[in-house]
Amino acid sequence: MRPALLNVGLTAIVLVAALLSLAVGPAGLGVTESVTGIVAGGSDVGAIILREIRLPRTILALAIGSTLGLSGAVLQGFLRNPLAEPGLIGVSGMASLGAVLLFYFGVAGSALYVLPAGALLGALIAVVLLLVLAARSNSTLTLILAGVALSSLAGALTSLVLSLSPNPFASYEIIFWLLGSLKDRSMEHVWLALPLMIAGWLLIALAGRAINALSLGEEAAATMGINLSRARTVIVLGVALSVGAATAVAGAIGFIGLMVPHLLRPFTSGMPRQLLLPSALGGGALLLVADTVCRVVLPASELNVGVVTALIGAPFFLWLVVRTRREVA
Amino acid sequence: MTTGGLLKRSTGLALVALAAALFAPAPDAEAQQSLPKVMSLNLCTDQLAMALADPEQLMSVSFLARDRTISPMWREAQNFPVNHGIAEEVFLEQPDLVVTGTFSQHNTTFLLRRVGLPVEEFDFAMTLETIPGEIRRMGALLHQQEKAEKLASDFAASLDAIEKQQCEPKPTILAFEQNGISPGRDTLADSVFRAAGFRNLAAEAGLVGAAPFPLELVVAQEPDVIVVQASEDEAPTLGAYVLRHPAMKHLNSRIDAFLPPGSWACNGPLIIDAVKALAELRQKVAPCAETTE
Repeated sequence: MRPALLNVGLTAIVLVAALLSLAVGPAGLGVTESVTGIVAGGSDVGAIILREIRLPRTILALAIGSTLGLSGAVLQGFLRNPLAEPGLIGVSGMASLGAVLLFYFGVAGSALYVLPAGALLGALIAVVLLLVLAARSNSTLTLILAGVALSSLAGALTSLVLSLSPNPFASYEIIFWLLGSLKDRSMEHVWLALPLMIAGWLLIALAGRAINALSLGEEAAATMGINLSRARTVIVLGVALSVGAATAVAGAIGFIGLMVPHLLRPFTSGMPRQLLLPSALGGGALLLVADTVCRVVLPASELNVGVVTALIGAPFFLWLVVRTRREVA
Repeated sequence: MTTGGLLKRSTGLALVALAAALFAPAPDAEAQQSLPKVMSLNLCTDQLAMALADPEQLMSVSFLARDRTISPMWREAQNFPVNHGIAEEVFLEQPDLVVTGTFSQHNTTFLLRRVGLPVEEFDFAMTLETIPGEIRRMGALLHQQEKAEKLASDFAASLDAIEKQQCEPKPTILAFEQNGISPGRDTLADSVFRAAGFRNLAAEAGLVGAAPFPLELVVAQEPDVIVVQASEDEAPTLGAYVLRHPAMKHLNSRIDAFLPPGSWACNGPLIIDAVKALAELRQKVAPCAETTE
């Protein structure tokens, strides 16, 4: 399929999913009211619900989904590992842990801006650790196993830290950090996370040529004039920035970065760089839909969105593992 | 050791029974001396016991009673030793009576009964009307019938006086707690709101117990009063941010944080303060017209 056609198609899906996300909620406003509510402004109930509650949620779902899809695509391309994904390899989990440590016990009190600071730090540590590991061993399995270990450790420490908080309500928030949610986010969260995510996307885009060249092997890439260590730095920073910011406001949401690149790869030329933009769009669409599903399935007490992505993603992951093994054998 | 302790206790109980039979209801000096020694293992029985017992009669209260974030009587609780609701502690202290709640510590209660300690459970039905009965019951257990009778009838009279002030149309109210949780039907908060003359939006929306109330509906229904519990000195949580969501700033609702934390955790006699405060607020929000004689 022509890349332009694929991207236009995906953009159309994103738009439909975004409209759907704006139209669904407990207050029961329809699509037309939703659109007029945003455009017309004013201070009637519909406009407030749309602008202050549903719009930030929709923007965040789109941006966070894009971040996860894009990060999955770039990690899979750079590591030449079909199972690489920010959730599976522990980047999201470490970002959660960082945010939790700073927010619940930080010296800065409970200010919201410490969330991304902690999350970026956690994500950065995870990406660097995993790249060091990947440089030492080329096995697909080693990276994934290390990622699983890192994820479990981060999850356990997150639970521990929240249980230690003197505020009894903090332990209810374990599920948010481990499974993610976009419930009751506001524009404050958008301004907090979106600029950082965009900066991360731009960095990842810079690595596009490098991951294309890398698909021919490291030596070939070097002869094509690719500076591998520069590419590595750019990817580390890009993934840490965007996934860190995403996790800071929505918790750890898994499997989007795994599924989306695999689903879209057959529609591209197969070059990793051509997969980046479609993966970002596809990730955005998937998270928008998953988040809307959460609001419809259990309207009273809202499912965590990570539950939905794991319900779709985990079987997909199994299928992928089986297929990968068959190809290797 | 064990048999000795048990023997001593049962002798004590027999004496109490004897004293009660001989001298009741007039509490004279001898009966005073043999008041039953009590341990309370539950935050709610703590309140009743502290209100009714003689100081030397109450052996200990639960450690939660001293926690200022959940216990309205945390100051009084500093005067008593605390327990952690563990069966071993109770057994070592050998009280004449253990009072506890039915929600908590089923295993402890079971264990204590197995070793022969008398345990009285309070199940705290979640309405104001049951409170005078609970006060009288605790009074009878502690042999403080007179004190209990006074407290119970004062409570009933205050409640009755407040309920008489109700008038139509009733303003709407919503208690909005951490993470957007609201007390609906079958909660003590709901009973308090009704007594103070409010309509509880969470109960009207069909919520039963404490359940999530969607932020969108808070905006759509715009309650006259939103009660958030005061919590400045608490450790941070994300749930507390839901109460500061920018959408809330557009509401004309009166957002109040005057109730101390834990106000309606227990249906003890203190709850009447919350009812009074809310009834006053209700008059400010929508004053009742002067009744024509």
